Amino acid sequence: MTQTIDTNIYAAVTEAIQSEAQRILAAGEVTAIVGYAAARRKGSAQPIVITSADDAQKLIFTPACVNNLAVYLTKAKKEIPKSGRIGIVVKGCDLKALVGLMGESQLKREQLYLIGVPCAGVLASTIQPDTGLTSDSIAPKCRECDAHLPQGCDFVPSQTPVTPELEKKYAAEIARLEALTPQERWAYWKEQFSKCIKCYACRQVCPFCFCEQCLCDRNKPQMVDTTPRPAGNTAWHIVRAMHLAGRCAGCAECERVCPMDIPLNLLNRKMAKELKELYDYEAGFDVHDKGPLNSYTEKDDQSFIK
Amino acid sequence: MHPEKQKHDFEPKIIAFVCTWCTYAGADLAGTSRMQYPANVRVLKFPCTGRIDPVFILKAFQQGADGVLVSGCHPGDCHYIAGNFHARRRFAAFRKLLEFVGVDLERLQFSWVSAAEGGKWVEVVSDLTEKVRNMGPMTEFKELALEEQWSGTINTEELKEAYKQI
Repeated sequence: MTQTIDTNIYAAVTEAIQSEAQRILAAGEVTAIVGYAAARRKGSAQPIVITSADDAQKLIFTPACVNNLAVYLTKAKKEIPKSGRIGIVVKGCDLKALVGLMGESQLKREQLYLIGVPCAGVLASTIQPDTGLTSDSIAPKCRECDAHLPQGCDFVPSQTPVTPELEKKYAAEIARLEALTPQERWAYWKEQFSKCIKCYACRQVCPFCFCEQCLCDRNKPQMVDTTPRPAGNTAWHIVRAMHLAGRCAGCAECERVCPMDIPLNLLNRKMAKELKELYDYEAGFDVHDKGPLNSYTEKDDQSFIK
Repeated sequence: MHPEKQKHDFEPKIIAFVCTWCTYAGADLAGTSRMQYPANVRVLKFPCTGRIDPVFILKAFQQGADGVLVSGCHPGDCHYIAGNFHARRRFAAFRKLLEFVGVDLERLQFSWVSAAEGGKWVEVVSDLTEKVRNMGPMTEFKELALEEQWSGTINTEELKEAYKQI
């Protein structure tokens, strides 16, 4: 049954973001703000960097504001002014990524002005941007979101999103795959990975893939084949999931940008689930100096080691 | 003298990633003590288990390994103090990932073998070799690699036509 999701607060949120952006830019508290602006297609939104208070009116927040803007602070730094504090509009899921980046010393909290967004959910990548938000059109990640209200921001509009309980698609899909035999799982992933065209959009959009040189681009030694063929694809996706294990904040941007619709976030969610079970670690709003895979305790489980 | 060597139909290829301080020395001890163990194992020496990237294991499977053994110092004995603690977490996570992708974890063995445990090295290697021998060759990754090869048969009219044009 299709359920409509209340997005009435988004208009008030947009207004609050605009006036706050206007204020901090005019007062010189920040040199630039990374946010969302309306794009050319009806109802769509795109990222924007504004540096003057006059442009504050351009900022919006709608269900089409799908991007995780945190990536602009790690990779596209060139478009962002070098000096001063940077303002950024963040949904709860994006904030988790920012917090992770702070934990990895990629960003400093005092250099950021966080404008949190109370968010009831955004549209899935395959949906037209002017569609209303319903339980059918909502992004899968929003179905299991526990971060509708970001915490620890410098400014959060006062509205509270109304969020109905929805079926957890990732959790259900992981459970389905786990119940299969290894051969069936291999067949499933073989088919998924064989679709990959190695465009590396998943890497480009990921806030955590910030290495200056990716292991998968190196050719001395070449660890992963670079051509879009089955063996190299499988290796790439395993390496990607492994490098994000214990770091991925679940913004699901990799899955959104994948032109071949490979369920990439499924691997990330699976790893997050396992690390929660093994080491009680979860991406959240608190900055941790060390993630689960670069810390240890002497009592860690070693039942699998002879 | 050497015992009569048993003949097998299938000799698995086992790649062992070992730490130089413990397991390599342990394997050395097994050798100098004249202990017998299967020659199926190819030993690769690393400074520490913490140096062994999961991608090495993947690469080993892709290059035709039927089984992989990763072995290093017992927890607390690491030459670099905590390398094996970090490795332990990393491999625990990597196992879960491989399992989810559908790789049979029976082919991947982790162990702690100290420099004094020549006997344990023999036991670990023999057990893994026998286990993998019974399972047969690892075909999953090889099939992936084979799919990359152009079959070379020009079997359709279209292809024949195109071939003539060249």
